[in-house]
Amino acid sequence: MLQIDSRYIEKALSANALEELYPLLQNAVELEHSTIPPYLTAMFSLNPGTNPVQRQVIHSIVIEEMLHMTIAANILNALGGHPVISHADFVPEYPGPLPMGIGNGLIVGLEKYSTDVVKNVFMEIEEPENPLVFKSVSLAALPTYSTIGQFYQAIQRKIDELAPDELPGDKSKQVTSSFFPADELFPIYTKQHAIDAINIIIEQGEGTSTSPLDQEDELAHYYRFEELYKGKRLVKDDTAPNGYSFSGPAIPFSPEGVFPLFPNTKINMLPVGSEEWKRMTEFNTSYYSLLSGLHTTFNGQPGMLDNTVGVMYDLKLTAQKLCATPFPSKPGYTIGPSFEFIVPAGS
Amino acid sequence: MSYLHAPRLVFTGDFLSDVSTVNNDTAHYNNATFQPNFQDPGKGATNGWWNPEGGAVFDFQNCAVKQIFLPDGTTQTSQSDDIIIGQAVVGAEGRPTGKMVDLDPDAQMFSALWCVQLRICTANGDLLFKGDITTTSFRDLQMRQLDGGKSNGQPLGASWTSVITNIEWGVLAEQSAFLKTLRATTQNNTLAINMSPFGYYYSHNDGRFSLGRIIGSIGPYFENEPLTFAAARRLYGINYTPSIRGTFFSISNFLVEPDAKRVSVDFGASFPVADSIGTVNYKQDLRLAVSKIPQAGVASRQTPTFYINPNDFIEIGALDYQSDPNWLNQTGGIVSFNNLPDATVSALAANQLILVSPSTSQPGQFAIIAREAIDGLVARADNFIQRLDDGQSVNIDFYAYQWGNLLPNTSISVTLDPATPDTPVGPQNPISEIYGNNFPADGLTFNGQISTNQQGKAQMLLTGNAIYSPRVYIDGQIYFITYQTATVDQAFGTEQIVVHLRDYFEEIANPVWGDISEMMIQYSNLYPIMSKYVVNLADPVALAEKKKILIFAFSRDINDTMHMPVTRDLSSTKRNTILNWLNNPQIAPKTVVRSDAREARTANPAAPGTALTDKQTRYREAVKAKNGSFPGFSATNDLFENL
Repeated sequence: MLQIDSRYIEKALSANALEELYPLLQNAVELEHSTIPPYLTAMFSLNPGTNPVQRQVIHSIVIEEMLHMTIAANILNALGGHPVISHADFVPEYPGPLPMGIGNGLIVGLEKYSTDVVKNVFMEIEEPENPLVFKSVSLAALPTYSTIGQFYQAIQRKIDELAPDELPGDKSKQVTSSFFPADELFPIYTKQHAIDAINIIIEQGEGTSTSPLDQEDELAHYYRFEELYKGKRLVKDDTAPNGYSFSGPAIPFSPEGVFPLFPNTKINMLPVGSEEWKRMTEFNTSYYSLLSGLHTTFNGQPGMLDNTVGVMYDLKLTAQKLCATPFPSKPGYTIGPSFEFIVPAGS
Repeated sequence: MSYLHAPRLVFTGDFLSDVSTVNNDTAHYNNATFQPNFQDPGKGATNGWWNPEGGAVFDFQNCAVKQIFLPDGTTQTSQSDDIIIGQAVVGAEGRPTGKMVDLDPDAQMFSALWCVQLRICTANGDLLFKGDITTTSFRDLQMRQLDGGKSNGQPLGASWTSVITNIEWGVLAEQSAFLKTLRATTQNNTLAINMSPFGYYYSHNDGRFSLGRIIGSIGPYFENEPLTFAAARRLYGINYTPSIRGTFFSISNFLVEPDAKRVSVDFGASFPVADSIGTVNYKQDLRLAVSKIPQAGVASRQTPTFYINPNDFIEIGALDYQSDPNWLNQTGGIVSFNNLPDATVSALAANQLILVSPSTSQPGQFAIIAREAIDGLVARADNFIQRLDDGQSVNIDFYAYQWGNLLPNTSISVTLDPATPDTPVGPQNPISEIYGNNFPADGLTFNGQISTNQQGKAQMLLTGNAIYSPRVYIDGQIYFITYQTATVDQAFGTEQIVVHLRDYFEEIANPVWGDISEMMIQYSNLYPIMSKYVVNLADPVALAEKKKILIFAFSRDINDTMHMPVTRDLSSTKRNTILNWLNNPQIAPKTVVRSDAREARTANPAAPGTALTDKQTRYREAVKAKNGSFPGFSATNDLFENL
């Protein structure tokens, strides 16, 4: 089960002032972002026109990670802090651990889509505190671990304890978007807003403790990935112990519809100055542009969010072209997007 | 004021232009005859040319400020002189890259930059300044590469002239004496910019696919000046080079500043280069001079070279470019001669500038490589590329100059070009009938006789009227409108206003899929990158699923950085109909047969086989050249030798 370094939870629980929560919320923004490159890499590796369910599931989860990142940044702003996004420390080194010691050594890389990656990485990242086991034989006693959910709960509890009803942050810095429902992404002006918003993050990621569904009646991330892993839809099943079972329609998967990305491609693996190297540079330039645009968005110019949506498309198109490009001198492989923090020449 | 005035900076580097190319063939617009292989890379009408999956991205790469030129005539090249030298010139950050698109498959020579942001920053990302380049289209296409473009495939270059607005000065700008002077000199917080792209790669050679070289110059802007060309004097090539069946040094802008006793000539868009990255390796003795006698020579195969006796010119000086193969990339090709003798300055006031080289075949004589426009006359339309819906009007701005000064009371006649004939399917046109341009003539209304006012400017109101699918399967019509003053300098020829007039279309408030399917399928055919990676534009179910993001994209202003490049082709009524559908996607076919428009199509007045005018023929050849399908470019090995 996915663990978080319990020091972070202790830090949250021992906070005596809102300021002490700033670095933790910054960590939260970083954590939410850190899952996006691995998910996107897997999604971009799916050949256009193939494996539509896999694409749709990952896409829906990425969108929610973006929502969570936005919520965490909004809370940080609401408490009076300043999200830092366009900075080298913001981007993890892949393969490597996620922020805050998540997963007790879980190494997350940038790899092509496979059921192994879904099971061993994605489900690990999203694993709830007490995963509901559907039609599973073993229900051994589950030890208590510190999870991402618990981390957010600790922050939630401290905000409840320390914050005034009306939060001190500059209200004009709150970011909302027509791309998210107003009951999921709303401005955080009050303590209650912050508490409600954290519940959205926890439930979308983990479900509730009694159901795989979140408050919007959507499957939590963990169970959506589990569907892909099992190749079956999770559906209501009154005969099953938890009321659900993987007895829904099959989710077909064709492994040949996946580009053979070289795992954890880095730009320095490509011949300097080659067309492939330049396209990777273009990709990392878009990535930098995106982080920079988000930084501006979350530091006083919320209207910039729309512009970053356009950059996301630039990034996506370049990434998908990379995934279809043969890897120079690595026969049988294509190039994965490297998501490296490289400040564009002279920028 | 212009990009040639002081203070100015020069930057050089590469540009990325990921233009899409399925739409380079007019016949590819016909949904009925479209085949999947038109989306595959490859030459010829049955393929999708060099970049079928292009996404229209335009961006600066590896660009840096090379040198600056100050009002006192000095040039600085070291960062120790001014902090701006050596700094990077980059594109947008935090918003999408700029885009590069053609006006229409029947008007491909006016590739335009849209929504390009230019930033100059340090290696740490600290801003000196940034701003938005106003949309501008190619002008002055000319031959650049002596190697015929053998490695890259495109030996031509062009110019983009524009202004930079929405300028934001970084904190560091205070540390640049150059920028402080520029800021104090320019008006309206706007700057003038000129960029000369060349050496573009169609081929996957040298790691430079879809890259080209770009040379830029940024200087002060003054109110009331044209936005898409410099209010400058012009030098035209008149030495015929057989290998290219034309001239090198075809078009160069120059500026004479009598008070500063200075002439500055911009060879950045014209200087012949050895290769795609701007290396200069020939060593001819090239000199600037003022001709004492009028020069009217025009290059031709019959008379390839015109000569002048040195007694008939005042020499200004020799171009000092031979010692450094990187000269063009370092200087931007802008040559300034300061402290000219008074006699030279006064001669330049009403005599032609010439570029000459000592003749070997006629010792003692000089061959004229380029000469200024006859009588120093330049008249140009500013906003010469237009997209119009029926009922829309626009004022086209004209400016006339003589010897660099605005010229009042100059009449300009403006004429719609003759209709070009339809091209039936045949061996040279295998896919679909291609319909002609410039008809129906009553699609546009304008008064073709105008005259410049006391300030040397003229305006012509151009109105679009309803037209009914003259090109059947492509929206609207392309109109070429030629304008000229009383005398036409054949060394340059005439210029045109080019209009895409959209078809009459009544907005449908509650459309079903059948109402928009033809448009969406056409997009899907022409821009495979969209259907492959974003959403299948030909699939109403897929569109309905993505309607949120599509409404976002389709509802942006045409100058918004998020505007989808292809939708610039759409009339507002068609765009609104698509938006209406997206807001309430009804996946039913249309019940009414969709042939009404075709039957009502305006007939082409030009009978099949009607000969094209010389200009129309040259234009078609130029389009072929631009698309890399013209085989006729050979290398030039002995430029200006043995003249």
